[in-house]
Amino acid sequence: MREDDRREGVWRFLTYTVLLAAVVVTLVPLYWIVVAATLPERAFLAAGSDPRLLPGGHFLENLRALQARENVDFLGSIRNSVFVAVTYTLLSLVLCSMGGFAFAKYEFRFKEPIFYAILATLILPIQLLVIPLFLLVSRIGLTNSFWAIILPWAANPLGIFLMRQNMRSIPDALLESARIDGATEFQLYYRIALPTMKSSLAALAIVLFLFQWNLFLFPLVILDTGKYTIPVAINQLVGAQRVYYDQIMVAAALSIVPIFLLFLFLQKQFVSGILAGSIKE
Amino acid sequence: MASDPSTSTGLRGVGWRAADALRYRRQALARRLPSFPGVPYLFLAPFFVLFAVFLAFPIAYTVYLSFFEFQGVGEGALLWIDFGPVFVQLPRMADLRFVGLANYARLLEDAQFHNALSNTVFILAVQVPLMIGVALGLALALNASFVRAKGLFRTAIALPVSANLVAYATVFLLLLQEHGLVNYLLTGVGLPAVPWLSSPFWSRLSIVGAVTWRWTGYNMIILLAGLQTVPEQLYEAAEIDGANRWEKFRYVTLPQLRPVLLFVLVTSTIGTFRLFSEPLIIDEGGAPTEATRTVVVYIYRMAFKQFELGYASAMTVVLVAIVSVLSIVQLKAGGEDDA
Repeated sequence: MREDDRREGVWRFLTYTVLLAAVVVTLVPLYWIVVAATLPERAFLAAGSDPRLLPGGHFLENLRALQARENVDFLGSIRNSVFVAVTYTLLSLVLCSMGGFAFAKYEFRFKEPIFYAILATLILPIQLLVIPLFLLVSRIGLTNSFWAIILPWAANPLGIFLMRQNMRSIPDALLESARIDGATEFQLYYRIALPTMKSSLAALAIVLFLFQWNLFLFPLVILDTGKYTIPVAINQLVGAQRVYYDQIMVAAALSIVPIFLLFLFLQKQFVSGILAGSIKE
Repeated sequence: MASDPSTSTGLRGVGWRAADALRYRRQALARRLPSFPGVPYLFLAPFFVLFAVFLAFPIAYTVYLSFFEFQGVGEGALLWIDFGPVFVQLPRMADLRFVGLANYARLLEDAQFHNALSNTVFILAVQVPLMIGVALGLALALNASFVRAKGLFRTAIALPVSANLVAYATVFLLLLQEHGLVNYLLTGVGLPAVPWLSSPFWSRLSIVGAVTWRWTGYNMIILLAGLQTVPEQLYEAAEIDGANRWEKFRYVTLPQLRPVLLFVLVTSTIGTFRLFSEPLIIDEGGAPTEATRTVVVYIYRMAFKQFELGYASAMTVVLVAIVSVLSIVQLKAGGEDDA
């Protein structure tokens, strides 16, 4: 009995050690971004000497230097990113929920083949479509337009999959009785399916928002100065001839804040949203 | 439409009570709804139009393009429809010269492509098992009944997934400098400094480390949720049979977790194959390019620095084929020996 207790104690100790170690490893770089953003460059690049590990008072100076940059309008890029991500998320939610509704609640010819064809594209790394998309977008005159990075991924295969999975749980009887009461098919979608799917929609919204917020390769190819999204803007800071690390750190810190807040508040939905696609068969 | 006589002629029987008739009518009405068969297509149409234009067409066009040499953006038109007032012109996408399989033949001899592919495979082979192993370990630890503050641990460990790709890659570039924080900590505890970015071997591992840092928490969350779906009775039954901790893991947890593990494995494999931001940024930060250049970075340079779009397309086709085969093999292997 005693032996068992001791073993259990050791086991608990090990478990907590592992978890705490993981927390330290994940948080140190994040903490360091915040610290570095508030220090003059020479203080955190500390060549050979002790690096500073506490925040300093240099944040505003760094921010001012960042804003004074000629080739990158960083605050503008935050605005661009927010606009693109929000528009994209809303548009994609509408498309995916309507499509998901059709797949979940109607019978029609070629339903299965169409659905599996859409599903199959999940295996493709869609970033690899950059070349044809680049040609397509330049031919239809969308180069350097936000629509060029919103439209191509709006018909999101993962989104339609999640929506179909979740909408199957809407009882047919509910839809039937609404039909009898004279609701049109669109009202069924709008008045019944959407409200009951609120939490799934929230989950999908987070996934879509994060996806668009982090898109890098295609915006890098398609956008010009003035339309940069955050990742492209930061990359512009790195690629310059002399790397201004203090400004980069401010940019990195600022770029992370909104998404952290979103993540903290909506974490539960995020989890369920991803899971809906992975586990339910 | 009017196959059911009761709906077209209304109330017929004299002896019917009005309520019955009404119910009957409603049922008949419900049976023939939705009112016209096109409804599901209407719901699907917006999705499908964008899907066809921006996903299905580009996939097909990549394959097409891989047989051509790109010579500039197209001037002429592919298709004209001219009906008086209606004038539709589908522009030709590009000026191309047919080269048959030449792009693919060139791939066979391109040492840089082979190098990029082997870098990618190296990163995949080290990173994916490492990450899934750590994520599974953390998920198991976090799933233990005695652990307090689960939500806090979970949030903290998963936080990196929300970090901006480019921002975090830049931060790692800084942390891993010769005189950066990581080496400072290493030398502080008496270990030698590591040439993270200047040695080919270590720069690859730096990328592995950065990717693992970002994605482990995300995968941990998925695995954790999977663990919570394992029925408690299975563990109780195993305990009655005298199973120890390891045996419970081996014979209950692992088999139950298989679909979730498979999902994590396939998505991670796809993710690693399209690795781009991290190597690009660490590249530009001065690491030996030859060691860290992934296939997608090479495709990007070929396509948008050299404008060899046909050749880059051929590479894309090959990469997609590899990813697809690998995913299907993983799915098959993971599904088949299901007892």
